[in-house]
Amino acid sequence: MHISEGILTTPVWLAGYAGTAVLAAVTMRKLDMEEVPKISVITSVFFIASLIKVPLGPASIHLILNGLVGVVLGWRAFAAIMLGIILQAIIFGHGGITVIGINSLMLGGGALIAYMVWQLRHRFSFKNREFVFGALAGAIGTISSGIVLATALITTGEAFNVIAATVLAAHVPIMLIEAAVVGASAAFLHKAKPDILAGRRQPGSVQGEN
Amino acid sequence: MALDIDRYHEVDSIINRWDPRAKIAALGIFIFSIALMKTIPMAVIAIVMAAILIRLTALPWHFIFHGLSFVMIFLVPFFVIMPLSYPGESAFTVLGLGFAWEGLRLATLIFIKAVSIVLVTYAIFGSSRFDISMLALQHLKCPKVVVQMLLFTYRYTFVFLEEMRRMHTSMQARGFVARTNMQTMTIFGHFVGTLLIRSFERTDRVFKAMLSKGYQGDLHSMVTFKSHGIDYAKATAAIILSLMMVAGDFSGVWSQAVQGWY
Repeated sequence: MHISEGILTTPVWLAGYAGTAVLAAVTMRKLDMEEVPKISVITSVFFIASLIKVPLGPASIHLILNGLVGVVLGWRAFAAIMLGIILQAIIFGHGGITVIGINSLMLGGGALIAYMVWQLRHRFSFKNREFVFGALAGAIGTISSGIVLATALITTGEAFNVIAATVLAAHVPIMLIEAAVVGASAAFLHKAKPDILAGRRQPGSVQGEN
Repeated sequence: MALDIDRYHEVDSIINRWDPRAKIAALGIFIFSIALMKTIPMAVIAIVMAAILIRLTALPWHFIFHGLSFVMIFLVPFFVIMPLSYPGESAFTVLGLGFAWEGLRLATLIFIKAVSIVLVTYAIFGSSRFDISMLALQHLKCPKVVVQMLLFTYRYTFVFLEEMRRMHTSMQARGFVARTNMQTMTIFGHFVGTLLIRSFERTDRVFKAMLSKGYQGDLHSMVTFKSHGIDYAKATAAIILSLMMVAGDFSGVWSQAVQGWY
């Protein structure tokens, strides 16, 4: 999911770059050398997992998985998604050079919101907690991106209102699929390799359960 | 899926010989000038220039068309949606929906600009080795950590793509068929999770090996850049053409798109 080149007006894509610069600067502060390979791995997996086609009735859709990036990388998710967008623009001409900013803001912003949702799991304690909050993170990550996309189209001109509404409506089935896949992934990772997940709290640490 | 954008970097051409730093800077300006266009005649001039540029790179046609097909799929629906959904007066009605010429004009403008920009992007990154393009970006003051992550990501992408194909084959061998139900979604979730863990552990080993060989956050390269007069001449030509395009567009000689483009 991305905005293609040539659609948005100059103020809108410039605003996209401005927003991305701010979020990138904030979320990449104090980046440790050891984090560089980890972020790159998640970016690659995010990049190729978006090639997976999921059947949806007679059609099929591609996974987005920005929610999962948030669940795995936390605040660093923004950098990973931005890199993925840059590579897509360079390799596929998917998206495009001038829309790198707005596309990063759209998917990366969604990933950050997904991480905030994911963190709320610490406030609850029940059996399938990781699945439920993973699914919520996946769903909310996707729909937040859809809202940013629709907003960018609407601010570009009245002529795009119908397209914006169509795009937003199309996000509802995508959101459900993302919820199921990200939920299952989060629950699986929690069982198989919990330290890969973001925002874990060590048992008995000062923060503890609250 | 063609992921190796630099597959034809060894072809000899006037663009391939261009110093990557000057090439990225000058053609980058060209791309942003195209993005500013709001009149169809200037956009047509832009696409003609982009087509000439891509011819100069000597990239094979099938490679270029493959790249363009992604943009096409996304943009062709605009030709139907835009005229029928454009607000304001419409020329005639189709199936009860008003058809507005202005909408068709906007769709055409979007299409021409998008295709031109993709062509120029292919000319930039299809004509140098990927790692050299990235090093050139670093010389152009792109943050070192971003360049490094781009290089790692590009490298890993091919490795993990192979891993994903192997996993997919083994799933199919065990009789997996994707359907629209919860079971399929759960399997996909586990699939992505497994892919993450495998990739992560592999990279962890690679990173330890790098550390043991003295990696301290810098990548050393044997590549050195050299700019000659001809590199600057090419860059100057590209920048002058970009400025002329922008000037022509803003001159008011041609009618501009009314909405959605200002």
